[in-house]
Amino acid sequence: MSTVQVEVQDLSKNFFDQSRGEVRAVQEVNFECRSSEIFGLLGANGAGKTTTLRMISTVLQPTAGTARVLGHDVVSDPVEVRRNLGFYSASTALYPRLTARETLTLFARVNKYPAERTRSRVEEMIERFGLGDYAGARIEKLSSGMKQKVSIARTVVHDPPVLIFDEPTVGLDVLNALDLQKAIQELREDGKAILFSTHIMSEAERLCDRIAIIDKGRIRACDDLEGLRAATSQHYLEDIFVHYVTGNDTTG
Amino acid sequence: MDWTAIRLLYLSELRAALRERAVLINGILIPLLMYPLMMWVMFSGILFVTARFESFASRVEIAGLPAEHRGLLERLEEDEGRIEITEVEAQAGTAAAAYREGVENRLLAGELDAALIFETTVDPPGNAEVSLLSNGSSDQSQAARGRLERALSAERSVWLDRIAEQHGLEGAEWQVFDLRSNNLATGRQMGQFLMGMMIPLFFVLMIANGCVYPAIDSTAGERERNTWETTSTLATRRIHVVTAKYLYVATMGLVAGALNAAAMVVSFRSFLGPLLARMGGGGGSGFAFELPLTSLPILFLTAVLLGALIAAAMMILAAFARTFKEGQSMVTPVILLVIFPVVVLNDPSMEFTPALAGIPVVNVVLLLRQAIAGNVLWLQLGITVLANGAAIAACLWLASRILRVEEIATGSFEGNLFQFLRQHWRPAGGKA
Repeated sequence: MSTVQVEVQDLSKNFFDQSRGEVRAVQEVNFECRSSEIFGLLGANGAGKTTTLRMISTVLQPTAGTARVLGHDVVSDPVEVRRNLGFYSASTALYPRLTARETLTLFARVNKYPAERTRSRVEEMIERFGLGDYAGARIEKLSSGMKQKVSIARTVVHDPPVLIFDEPTVGLDVLNALDLQKAIQELREDGKAILFSTHIMSEAERLCDRIAIIDKGRIRACDDLEGLRAATSQHYLEDIFVHYVTGNDTTG
Repeated sequence: MDWTAIRLLYLSELRAALRERAVLINGILIPLLMYPLMMWVMFSGILFVTARFESFASRVEIAGLPAEHRGLLERLEEDEGRIEITEVEAQAGTAAAAYREGVENRLLAGELDAALIFETTVDPPGNAEVSLLSNGSSDQSQAARGRLERALSAERSVWLDRIAEQHGLEGAEWQVFDLRSNNLATGRQMGQFLMGMMIPLFFVLMIANGCVYPAIDSTAGERERNTWETTSTLATRRIHVVTAKYLYVATMGLVAGALNAAAMVVSFRSFLGPLLARMGGGGGSGFAFELPLTSLPILFLTAVLLGALIAAAMMILAAFARTFKEGQSMVTPVILLVIFPVVVLNDPSMEFTPALAGIPVVNVVLLLRQAIAGNVLWLQLGITVLANGAAIAACLWLASRILRVEEIATGSFEGNLFQFLRQHWRPAGGKA
């Protein structure tokens, strides 16, 4: 029985930009994500995906609305929120001068994984992500594929029930991207609630149980793929996306 | 406070820093090796120059040396180094002018280093007018001139003593002032005075230098490497992250200062002491560079206070930088700000009053100088700790207020501390 792990209600974020003035990056976004579910945020660049996920992960503070992770509010209880989630994005780099093992140990300990089980958990992650030969090497010496594996390992090392993957395959080659997708699917099978943002239609189609189409900071539609198809009479996700974003029917 | 998280983050920062070449060079190698190296170079240089002078054979010509002053030749030969003396007869009339012109030409051509011409004798016998000719643009000629002056001066003293004795006169009766100088300071006190003048200046400079790289690396460096967001997702409060970073920066400053002070004392003892003794400094007892034991805890305390204060000030400014380059330009004024009072205070007559003990940085420098001289002024010590503690607390409060602002934390704020203060601390209805 899946339970609601992430609840987002009327979440909004405004920025002040010197040239553009007040920018409404996210406007009254609502959704929820359950355990053993991959919930996709599908949108073009600048649609508000990353800002939404950064608010849920407490990196940014909402201007209005609320978000809760396992019932913990992102504004009033940010430490508990962070303890219960792992955040991965193409822009979150690793500490270059630490080794993979040191990085995993640091994240497990600071994220309150039990101290007595940290060593075995770190070794388990090293084994699971095939980092054995490189666990003692400094991150700066690793290839981008290996860095990406260390990044996923540090995201999940404290065994959080909620995971956020913000455009995780950006900049990866096909094989590494497929490896990452496989890892995310395995994490869903472990019962994790996964928030996944992308602008790649095939990726969303392959991975996500439910998809929210986001455009100009607003969610235009939110359902599983079959529901979206039924609502738009479109088969391909690309056509569904265009339907909601431009209001045009591409099939003629 | 979550001290476990702070400790873990602090140790990670330190571990990462010790793997960074720039930190090792600025925070450890320069403070440790700069003074031994500098003094070794100075010591070797002076020895080299001295040895070079000693290897010269000074070519000297003496014309018309009176019989009463034959002792001058012995004195010249007793002086250090080799000397080649050519003696010529006294010249008179036009021959004397032609001789002098010839000597001048040979000096300018470098064929001769110096010449001593006894021109006329006056009463009583033995007294004479003497010309000492040399070429000021030649090292060798200058050295020869120095040797002739020393020998002449010694010969004159001996001659005058002898004449005075013949007339039954002693010391002050004919010299007006018969000066017998006596330096009552021990070599240890002389050494402490010199160290008190030099150590505080370099100590402050090295602590500031030790803080610079870590302060920029842990703020702007994180943004440049895109690790700030990674750190932001750790399950601990931001203030704990900032505390760990601050402790790391202060530790690096403290380590740089402590290593520097130790290296400086060792360098003074091993190089400067022997060098000053060789050059005749420090009076009869010479210089002894030893720190009094009571100064060691105060040295440590001042390193802690300075490290903590400079680290806090630098982190406030570096918090606004988005790149390493920006960080460097923002942090440099702190170095100038802490160095300025030290340079101004480098006046030995400056007294450490309770009022001066209330001024951060200034108080630490004066406290350190007193401690090196073996004095502990407890009232001033207490005021110094309180004043610096208050300054550190104010800096940390400001730093925590600044880093709480989202645009600063995410690096999207475009400006510096003063622009930030203008925008966020408006007198009425401000956003603070």
